[in-house]
Amino acid sequence: METEDYLDLRLDDFLDRLSAGGQAPGGGSAAALSVAFAAGLVAMVARCSRASWEDASGVAAQSLAIRERAAQLARTDADAWQEATAALHQAGGEGADKRRDFELEQKLRRAAAVPLEIAELGADAAALAALVGEYCEGAHRADAAAAAALAAGGASAAAHLVEVNLAVREGDETLLRARASEQAAADAAQRTLASVR
Amino acid sequence: MSQLSALSDAELVQRCRAGNTDAWNELVERFSRYVYAVCTRGFRLNEEDAEDVFQEVFTRVFTHLDTLRNDAALRPWIAQLTRRLCLDTIQKGGREQATAEPLAEDLASDLEVIDEAFTVREAMTTLSDACQDILDRFFARDQSYRTISDELDIPSGTIASRIARCLSKLRVELEGRSDPSDVSRE
Repeated sequence: METEDYLDLRLDDFLDRLSAGGQAPGGGSAAALSVAFAAGLVAMVARCSRASWEDASGVAAQSLAIRERAAQLARTDADAWQEATAALHQAGGEGADKRRDFELEQKLRRAAAVPLEIAELGADAAALAALVGEYCEGAHRADAAAAAALAAGGASAAAHLVEVNLAVREGDETLLRARASEQAAADAAQRTLASVR
Repeated sequence: MSQLSALSDAELVQRCRAGNTDAWNELVERFSRYVYAVCTRGFRLNEEDAEDVFQEVFTRVFTHLDTLRNDAALRPWIAQLTRRLCLDTIQKGGREQATAEPLAEDLASDLEVIDEAFTVREAMTTLSDACQDILDRFFARDQSYRTISDELDIPSGTIASRIARCLSKLRVELEGRSDPSDVSRE
């Protein structure tokens, strides 16, 4: 089961799909795109600071890589989520079936792996936003702070989706990593926002 | 990195001409991925046809290396040879082309990407092992800063800057490269 490629849609069409009553796109896709927006902003700020900061181009290149990965995950998350919910409905049928349970567990785990990746990209985008916030030209510092806030929001939303996944249990490595990413992104955002207030 | 892998293309060609077997192995090793990528990702040949072209390319390189006028132009020569043999294979196989123009555009774009990727890969070999490793982890293996930090035991907060500096070195290396275009008569 595959969704259409959201990256081929006009922005207002994507927002219409997001607001519609269907299952996807949902929170995971929105979180992924928040991180992609954040990374895009970081790249913009870095590029505008090339004249005064020698690492600017290298930071912009990293931001673009994160932006690309995060944007792709908007669709990957929707696909994984739809597969998991379909498997859940199927599992609700009659009788016990070990093979079916195993497949359901695998699909749920995949549905948790994608938001974990989004959370980690959010942490990385927030780290880059903090870095550009420190070294960019003053006129762009507010954009760096906005990027950090968006990245932290995306990381937090994605970490929450990992937490509520039925295959993830307290103490799981997946959950620990998601929470660590959420915290790292939040710390970076707080530092960056404080620096412009 | 072996001594041979550190040689420039021109130096490698000179050793091949002198009959150095290890140099031949290095030449095949250096260009095998490139030739295969042009066959499969550029011209979309099937595995069997790609394998035939691959063999033929290196056979011709081996037998016609003396016709290469500019030793530094090894790659454009191999590229030209590969493209020509791929086109021959397509013509022999009678593969249909519904619309020639878009295919030609796609092909040019794909070949450009393959060329760029190969150039970057070549330039990366001139960087320190540490730089090659960190760039590979971030850009090729998609590792997060945290994973890189954990596996290399370096502070997470310094990784983005390290990558940026390695990219600067890579850029200097790429900017310093000329574009040898004088290809052989073959």
